[in-house]
Amino acid sequence: MKKLDNLISEYKRGECKLITLFKEIVKSKGFLSFENLNYLSKNLDIPLAKLYTTASFYSFIPTAKKGKYIIRVCNNLSCNLNGSENIIEVLKKELKINLGETTGDGKFSLELTSCIGQCDSAPAMMINNKIYTKLDKTKIRRILRELK
Amino acid sequence: MQILRKSNWEGFKKITKMKRKEIINKVKESGLKGRSGSNFLTGLKWELIGKGTRYLICNADEGEPGTFKDKFILENNPQLMIEGIAIASYAMDIHSAFIYLRGEYSYLKPKLEKIIKQSEIYLKKIKLNIEIVPGAGSYLCGEETAILESIEGNRPIVRRKPPYPSESGLNSNPTCINNVETLANIPLIFLGEWDNNLQLFSLSGDLKKPGIYEIELGTKLEHIISCGKPKKELKAVYFGGSGGCLPYEKFKNLRVDEKTISGKGAVLGARSLIAVGKDRNIVDISKTISEFFVHESCGYCTPCREGNFRVLELLDKIKDRKARIIDVKLLEKLAYHISDTSYCALGVSSTTHLKCALKYFKDEFRV
Repeated sequence: MKKLDNLISEYKRGECKLITLFKEIVKSKGFLSFENLNYLSKNLDIPLAKLYTTASFYSFIPTAKKGKYIIRVCNNLSCNLNGSENIIEVLKKELKINLGETTGDGKFSLELTSCIGQCDSAPAMMINNKIYTKLDKTKIRRILRELK
Repeated sequence: MQILRKSNWEGFKKITKMKRKEIINKVKESGLKGRSGSNFLTGLKWELIGKGTRYLICNADEGEPGTFKDKFILENNPQLMIEGIAIASYAMDIHSAFIYLRGEYSYLKPKLEKIIKQSEIYLKKIKLNIEIVPGAGSYLCGEETAILESIEGNRPIVRRKPPYPSESGLNSNPTCINNVETLANIPLIFLGEWDNNLQLFSLSGDLKKPGIYEIELGTKLEHIISCGKPKKELKAVYFGGSGGCLPYEKFKNLRVDEKTISGKGAVLGARSLIAVGKDRNIVDISKTISEFFVHESCGYCTPCREGNFRVLELLDKIKDRKARIIDVKLLEKLAYHISDTSYCALGVSSTTHLKCALKYFKDEFRV
């Protein structure tokens, strides 16, 4: 928890914002656990409910365990017109999971996301913080193979 | 492209010789308006900032479906935006600025940090600190008061106005919130030979060459769309997710600006045009957009939270050919009810797409 303590000190000194703190925890642990929230609540003197209601608002701050790689496929209009539904089907088939699920080995979670601003290279998706564009079946298989 | 012009702090060097009031007047006279789609006169916004400790927030949280113009600037000419932040801060006597960078663009953070570091010599001169605050995947956080809540560490629910952020914004201090494209244009105003009418358009959808195009406001819709080279005959053009749509053939000669588009019932917004081919079904498209609003509704007010959920339910029914005439009537009623009674702009604009679709493509909502 040393890193978390450093972050807490940074926050207390006004050097970073609460959302930065949340994101750093997610970056290192994969999600914001109840224990993390409780720890933050005690050390920052902010009610647990307030921390939870803030964190749970954001799509990119999971408060439950997810896969090591969170795949977020954009299914908004531009991606949809360029075949994102096929991309979702390919991912479901390759990973043998449905949307909102995580693979048995805890490696991949599959989700939908709102527009990620890659409409000029649609269809697109994010895996953790990385952007993947102009997707097709072959490209997806290659990406998954590299991560497996 | 005008927006790709390199300034390398030349604009900044000019303004440090000017009085604060002179700078604000020059921005005001330039006619520059908020490029997020708000169209509020930027110089006036600067003039209205209250007294005391003030903050500047650069809104880099473009989340409107089909919009990627700010990404284009952040990727291709971010120095211009940082210089714009410095000029704005100097003009309003601000010493603490934030860039609220959407979570989806977090890959751009190292690049921005590098430029801020390289700019230290200029930033120090005006005692300005710039902090990048990461967003975390929320469309609502593009709204200026939701950003304030997010930076303050609260659940980002839109604030009731007044008071406006210019009087009571971040931590109750006067705050100016400007969009990436708006700020990137600031140095250009001072460099001269700058055209306010040249604006960025995000073109996507059924196009062979989707991308960012710098086009003069008032250009015919057909000419704008032809830049992106349609893949097929077009049925409609959508203005982002919340701006609604217009039938393409009927309006291809329309000169595109804020007024002409709103005159036809749609909203130009941040100039994001999504081309939709003739083979597409408008009900399917309405469903895709509606899913977005169901996901992004914050849940604070009932019309937006429950209404959009019901809209999606009805669209599903129509798509599956299980709807009755009364369902289409209910859909139309709901569309107006949601926009009339929602708490914030997200809810109010969440059914513009539906109102336009029912106005121009009603025959597709068959039962």
